Amino acid sequence: MSQSEIQFTFDDKTISALSGQSVGAALLAANQRSLRKTRFNKDKRGIFCGIGVCFDCLVVVDGITNQRACIIEAKPGMKVQTQDGSNA
Amino acid sequence: MKNPDAIVIGAGVVGACTALSLANAGIRVLVIDRGPVASGTTGAGEGNILVSDKEPSPELTLAIRSRDAWFEIDTDIGGGFELEAKGGVVVSRITKGISDLKKLASLQKENGVETIELDASTLQEAEPFISKDVNYGVLYPGDAQCQPMLAAAQIIRAVKKRGGQFIQGENVIKINSNSGSVVGLTTDKNTYSTPIVINATGTWAGEVAKLAGSYLPIMPRRGYILVTSPAPKFINHKVYDADYVANVASGEADLQSSAVIEGTASGTILIGASRERVGFKNDLNIAILRQLARQAISLFPVLTNIQLLRAYRGFRPYAPDHLPVIGEDANVLGLWHAAGHEGAGIGLAPATGELITAQITGNVPFMDPMPFSPKRFKGGEHVAV
Amino acid sequence: MHNVVIVGGGPAGLSAALAAAAAGAPVLLIDSNSRLGGQYWRNSVDELENQNEQHFDLATGLLLINAVKARKEIEVWSEAQIWSATNDEGKNTLRVIHQGKEKIVNTANLILCTGAYDRTLPFPGWDIPGVMTPGGVQSLLKGHGVLAGKQVVVAGTGPFLLPVAAGVIKAGGEVVSLIEANKSRRWVSSFIVILENLSKIKEAFYYIKTISRGKVRAQFGYAVIAAHAADNGELESVDIAKINRNFKVKKVKNIKCDVAAIGWGFTADTSLAGSLGCKQVVAKDESVVVWVDSEQQTNIPGVFAAGEITGIGGSDLSMAEGVIAGIAAAKFVGCKVDISKAHRKRRAKRQRFANALIKAYPIKTGWQLWPNDQTTICRCEEVSLGDLKFSVEELGATDSRTAKLFTRCGMGLCQGRICGRSVVDLVAKELNVLPTDIDRISAVNRPIITPIPLGVLAQGE
Ligand SMILES: Cc1cc2nc3c(=O)[nH]c(=O)nc-3n(C[C@H](O)[C@H](O)[C@H](O)COP(=O)(O)OP(=O)(O)OC[C@H]3O[C@@H](n4cnc5c(N)ncnc54)[C@H](O)[C@@H]3O)c2cc1C
Ligand SMILES: Cc1cc2nc3c(=O)[nH]c(=O)nc-3n(C[C@H](O)[C@H](O)[C@H](O)COP(=O)(O)OP(=O)(O)OC[C@H]3O[C@@H](n4cnc5c(N)ncnc54)[C@H](O)[C@@H]3O)c2cc1C
Ligand code: FES
Repeated sequence: MSQSEIQFTFDDKTISALSGQSVGAALLAANQRSLRKTRFNKDKRGIFCGIGVCFDCLVVVDGITNQRACIIEAKPGMKVQTQDGSNA
Repeated sequence: MKNPDAIVIGAGVVGACTALSLANAGIRVLVIDRGPVASGTTGAGEGNILVSDKEPSPELTLAIRSRDAWFEIDTDIGGGFELEAKGGVVVSRITKGISDLKKLASLQKENGVETIELDASTLQEAEPFISKDVNYGVLYPGDAQCQPMLAAAQIIRAVKKRGGQFIQGENVIKINSNSGSVVGLTTDKNTYSTPIVINATGTWAGEVAKLAGSYLPIMPRRGYILVTSPAPKFINHKVYDADYVANVASGEADLQSSAVIEGTASGTILIGASRERVGFKNDLNIAILRQLARQAISLFPVLTNIQLLRAYRGFRPYAPDHLPVIGEDANVLGLWHAAGHEGAGIGLAPATGELITAQITGNVPFMDPMPFSPKRFKGGEHVAV
Repeated sequence: MHNVVIVGGGPAGLSAALAAAAAGAPVLLIDSNSRLGGQYWRNSVDELENQNEQHFDLATGLLLINAVKARKEIEVWSEAQIWSATNDEGKNTLRVIHQGKEKIVNTANLILCTGAYDRTLPFPGWDIPGVMTPGGVQSLLKGHGVLAGKQVVVAGTGPFLLPVAAGVIKAGGEVVSLIEANKSRRWVSSFIVILENLSKIKEAFYYIKTISRGKVRAQFGYAVIAAHAADNGELESVDIAKINRNFKVKKVKNIKCDVAAIGWGFTADTSLAGSLGCKQVVAKDESVVVWVDSEQQTNIPGVFAAGEITGIGGSDLSMAEGVIAGIAAAKFVGCKVDISKAHRKRRAKRQRFANALIKAYPIKTGWQLWPNDQTTICRCEEVSLGDLKFSVEELGATDSRTAKLFTRCGMGLCQGRICGRSVVDLVAKELNVLPTDIDRISAVNRPIITPIPLGVLAQGE
């Protein structure tokens, strides 16, 4: 079965995803390994547990912070952004 | 420590501050707790240090001194407990609330509390995310905040450095006296002699008074605080509904709450606090969490998408007249009480310690301590339902 | 009306649902994933043919998933997350977020099958993007068809490293190193256990075949003890150490990679069971699990548990337990069924295999020396080992709970799921004591099972 392709944006880039794919998986496929910066040390973080447990893959989706990229399904036209700290 | 000059029972914020004040006065003090530091109500408190929620009264005098004393302690011991003079904003959305608030603020002003009235536009400036239907508030620059567990721990740490000692994991089971005077106490592990025992056991102070054959009417009042996930800095001050002030003085058993919302140094937002009289009941009351969430969102709609992470629960120690108990026991000489601060124990702790120390060392206290004296309860008269 | 409510759509939950429904009990199955299958049978689309590559035993999974979907006695709520659960005088209340709204489910009969997640250990650099769990690498492959990196180090301990390494190779990646901390030979010790679990051995060989085709040789007695980032802040290399039996470091070498998948077995997620008041115990592998009797019933009558939350044992054991739990729950609501000897035998056999694995893949305390004072322990709140030490040495914390309150360690969004277990160990080490069961159980106490938006909370009743 072939899956249809959809598009969303990450910061300024356009990213393609297969329907059903998570935002985090599509970003990783596009070689985007860092998804956020931590609040205090501003360290980069990316996907760690991959199953929604660790909350390390946080991104801002359509303006809402603290969304787990690894489990949120990519939808056409979604506006995804790097989360900087808690996005102050 | 052999034969300490004084023993403080309880390593909550009140016991810690009292011990520090005693140690600074040159008294060799031993602090004993059945658990680790801040394992009682202090570990569940929100950390507000308020001058805004009290009407002119002896308690306000205590609060004003205590607020300054917190900053002195911060300098004295080198900080480390997230003390911040962030200021409080009290708001109201109903005509009656607004006029009451105005009255209260002007009375407080006459009594030395700094107050600044805010109208719709200055309020929006102070709190850009506050709901647009809030048009009136009072800013109290004096209100401050700390992290209470760290405060108690850092203060105990300082006490140890100044020659005091802290023993944890010992439960006091008896306060020993000889012809009406304290001679020491017994724990489940040891016996200590001392002429002075300070009962700083918060919600359990009544039980500890009994261990000396005396009496103190202290009861628990349950409270919840919601803690959110780290959020952007939506909230600059502590922001409360004027009802909060009304709630504090009320004695109804039913659930009461009115939002007190603030950000913390770690980025989380605290939403407090409910008040219930349900004894030490330990269950998780979801209805309370919902009510607090509704109130918070009504004040700050931006919180709708912020997640709830945890809910703290604690039992505030209160006396029938809702005033703290600070002073020497009515029956046993050498037994001092520093307890029953209800929802203000963190704020009032340093000044409480000062009142105790002044009286023990025979110095002139900064205010008349009589209104807080345990002698106001005459054997059983004030027992609440 | 549903007679039996099941939480979790993995091997245990699916098996329980089918067993209960077959016995005549209507079932509501609640699962937080978007597709049934749990952690093992993860798949990207409903038609799974193109995923065969990544699975050894997809047939069983498909069979169960399709059977569950086909049975009209079973109602399924997918993407339904329980955020709070309470037990009040025999009535269990589940608060479920489903399709953005909160639903309340009241039930006297409940089967908990909430599964497990990878156990991780902290070491310098474990928070660099590129360091992942094996489960994470696998779920990207199985669930999304994405290979996490080109040069992958697979490390840690346990048989689960094999399917992950095999999966990477099948998807066209290079496994630059496959390293197992324990010595391999130990687990061959019990011959009978192997004989009666031949299918598992077949599964292992299936993976090993793939791995050797990829020209990867597994190394035993090694561990990843540090990770290093390139200038862009992302993973560039790891330090691999030869370790002794207690996991103490002997010799270190550095190798380049862009992903390191490192896992140390699994941690059961007992938060839901704990909120209901189910009794929890500390298992042999030191994980906190839900206590059950021989019919998979917890200490709360009518509340059953099956799968990894009752002890880590793999998908076969989870299924065997699920079936028994399903039958027992149906019996509890009055269906005329009984657990057969064959069911019990099957579970016992799988249990012996699970026990043998736990013995063969221990995690020794030497790991506690890998982190240094700057190493992040709590990833969410960025609390370092140095911070934890300060809380013990200077602030007087004498247990992990107090250390947590002083440092915020374990108080972030993951609610201590990632660091909680390690913090208990590290604080105990600092205090020179052994962690107590109370320490371990209190570290998994999460009355709010998962973070919930205040707006959703406010709207509920
Ligand atoms: C939800 C909530 C929010 C709050 N928010 C605020 C706020 O914002 N600002 C504020 O000022 N106050 C607040 N409070 C109130 C404040 O937390 C308390 O008034 C204060 O912590 C009391 O401190 P304490 O030292 O008297 O008691 P505790 O902290 O309870 O300390 C008493 C200690 O005594 C020990 N003890 C008891 N019996 C024995 C025994 N027999 N032997 C040995 N040790 C014993 C206990 O282990 C305990 O450690 C809040 C309270 C709650 C519940
Ligand atoms: C990422 C990963 C990959 C794995 N791969 C393999 C493998 O290849 N081979 C193997 O033998 N073992 C694997 N395992 C081990 C695996 O745990 C077991 O083999 C098996 O999946 C356990 O089955 P279970 O039914 O107990 O739980 P799980 O399969 O873990 O299923 C639990 C289900 O419960 C749901 N759930 C949990 N809490 C809630 C809640 N509060 N509300 C709603 N739903 C909830 C979860 O979303 C999940 O779908 C893997 C584990 C993980 C974490
Ligand atoms: S990677 Fe762990 S929650 Fe997304």
